[in-house]
Amino acid sequence: MLHGVSLSVVPGEFIAILGSSGCGKTTLLRTIAGFQKASGGAIRLFGRDVVNMPPERRGMAMMFQSYALWPHMTVLGNVGYGLRLRGVPKDEIRSRVAKVLAMLNLTGFEDRKVTNLSGGQRQRVALGRALAIEPEILLLDEPLSNLDAKVRIQLRSEIKALQSRLGFTAIHVTHDREEAMTMADRIVVMDTGRIAQVGAPKEVYDHPNSPFVASFMGAENTLSLDVRPSGSGVEVRADEAPPALYSGEVPVGPVTAYFRDDVASLDDPNARVDGSIVLPGNITQRTYPGGHYRYVVAIGNRHFTVTDDRYHELARPVGLRLPLASLHMFSNNQTTGGNHA
Amino acid sequence: MARPSFFGLLLIAPALAMIGGLFLYPLGFSLVAAFTEPDGDLSVMHFQKAYELYSTDILFTIFIVVVSTLLTGLFSIAIAGILTLSETPWLVGALRNLYRWPLFIPFIVAAQCMRTFLAKNGLMNNSFVALGLMEPLQTTSFLDWRGIIITFVWKQVPFVTLMLAGAMASVDRATIEAGRNLGASRVRVLIELVLPQVAQTLLVGLVLSFVTMLSVLSVPMMVAGSQPTMLTVDMAFRINSYGDYATANALGVISYAIAGTVAWIYLRHNIKREVQA
Repeated sequence: MLHGVSLSVVPGEFIAILGSSGCGKTTLLRTIAGFQKASGGAIRLFGRDVVNMPPERRGMAMMFQSYALWPHMTVLGNVGYGLRLRGVPKDEIRSRVAKVLAMLNLTGFEDRKVTNLSGGQRQRVALGRALAIEPEILLLDEPLSNLDAKVRIQLRSEIKALQSRLGFTAIHVTHDREEAMTMADRIVVMDTGRIAQVGAPKEVYDHPNSPFVASFMGAENTLSLDVRPSGSGVEVRADEAPPALYSGEVPVGPVTAYFRDDVASLDDPNARVDGSIVLPGNITQRTYPGGHYRYVVAIGNRHFTVTDDRYHELARPVGLRLPLASLHMFSNNQTTGGNHA
Repeated sequence: MARPSFFGLLLIAPALAMIGGLFLYPLGFSLVAAFTEPDGDLSVMHFQKAYELYSTDILFTIFIVVVSTLLTGLFSIAIAGILTLSETPWLVGALRNLYRWPLFIPFIVAAQCMRTFLAKNGLMNNSFVALGLMEPLQTTSFLDWRGIIITFVWKQVPFVTLMLAGAMASVDRATIEAGRNLGASRVRVLIELVLPQVAQTLLVGLVLSFVTMLSVLSVPMMVAGSQPTMLTVDMAFRINSYGDYATANALGVISYAIAGTVAWIYLRHNIKREVQA
């Protein structure tokens, strides 16, 4: 179910629809493609309402999570099918398919059976099949989620590069935040059938407009704070820490702060730093994932994960330093809290 | 090693005895009888007799079964295609509930129903007359080769459709959507994308239907007249009227040969696929 979803896409733009499973992102994409009937509302394609148009007449191309290649056809048959439907002569199909395959580093694969290809090659063929008809809009339904990490990262940049080169509009559904961030011009975060936030990747990442978006974009640690006006700025208090002064724009009153692991750092437990709040605690665990240390710091009965370049002994009292500018603060009076860590 | 294999043999002995006694022995016996003269010499005289008397019926049987198989295939593809690709929920629902009924009706009952339905003054013609579509004088009986084909197709379509619709349902939906997304109509999706993926199942269903129709006695006997008729009727006639088992056996071997041809086509197709894969 989708509720009041309103989204405009500029020609040539790369849009990523991001959300957890069941949030309606695939439903939105399938409704755009025409596989799901909309009970109301409009889908306008260059000004033309296509809500009642069958999928085969919408002129969009789609890439599927399961590749959806036709196993009884060769690579040529798969990639050239859209052209065959458009009545393109055989010789021209062959030459156009060869061009598409060259673009995807699949030259010479024309007569291979698609069942004999690797996952990455299959998804390239699926991309080729979508691009062969030179669509104005390419819909991507989690096309990279079945591939292993290395191939996935490689295909990400290939798709992005092709999109900038050929100039088609892309709407990409994914649950992978990094994938959305690296590929899209704009990100649409969806939550239970509604659009939670739309914006450039950096804007959504740095300035989430709700606790849901904040935690979805990786700020999954929460901290209750009390913000009071003080002089020209505000005074921020946490239960365990001395108050800190801050001059940035934050909601006043009881707030919940959301932050990512990487914004916290370790400091002296009694340090007082302007614009940062320092929570005293103890190191309970240390691991070395490579490049830096990762510590688990206990503050009261809460545990936070911190990365730090320096080596610290276990059970040592430390201060968990959180720069207030990097916290996403939401007033408790507006939010219902939700299911955050 | 000797003891376990002996016990193993003992365990399957009843089953083996059943196959041997009820299937292999009669089959072997009728094969031998078809090729043996009354005095015990090997000969093809029974086949000569069968050919002289029933060559028209052999061709008639092949014609009926081949046409019925082709029509069964066409109707099954159409129904399974609608069940898989239609976007009209009431049509799919109605078809899903209706198409299986003939499966549960025996051939002999189907034949009896067709007698009253297809006769000159049967239900079908009476309905056409009542609807004003034709005059009573224009009505003709369908109780001939057409009646046999109609009964066979009516009876076998549900069986093949059941197999085909099941196979189509297990085809990855995304391969269908990918076709429509690129601009293929539903008919093209069915013929060019779905059917090739379920061709194997269709072939199995049609081969089984072919062999079943070849062996039905009640339908040609009840629906159509006596000349020409199908080989099953001739076999029954040779045995019941003359006690002529030899000629009946020869006709039986000819039926095997016809069924064997289809089985050979099926096996060849299977081997080709395995070699390709």
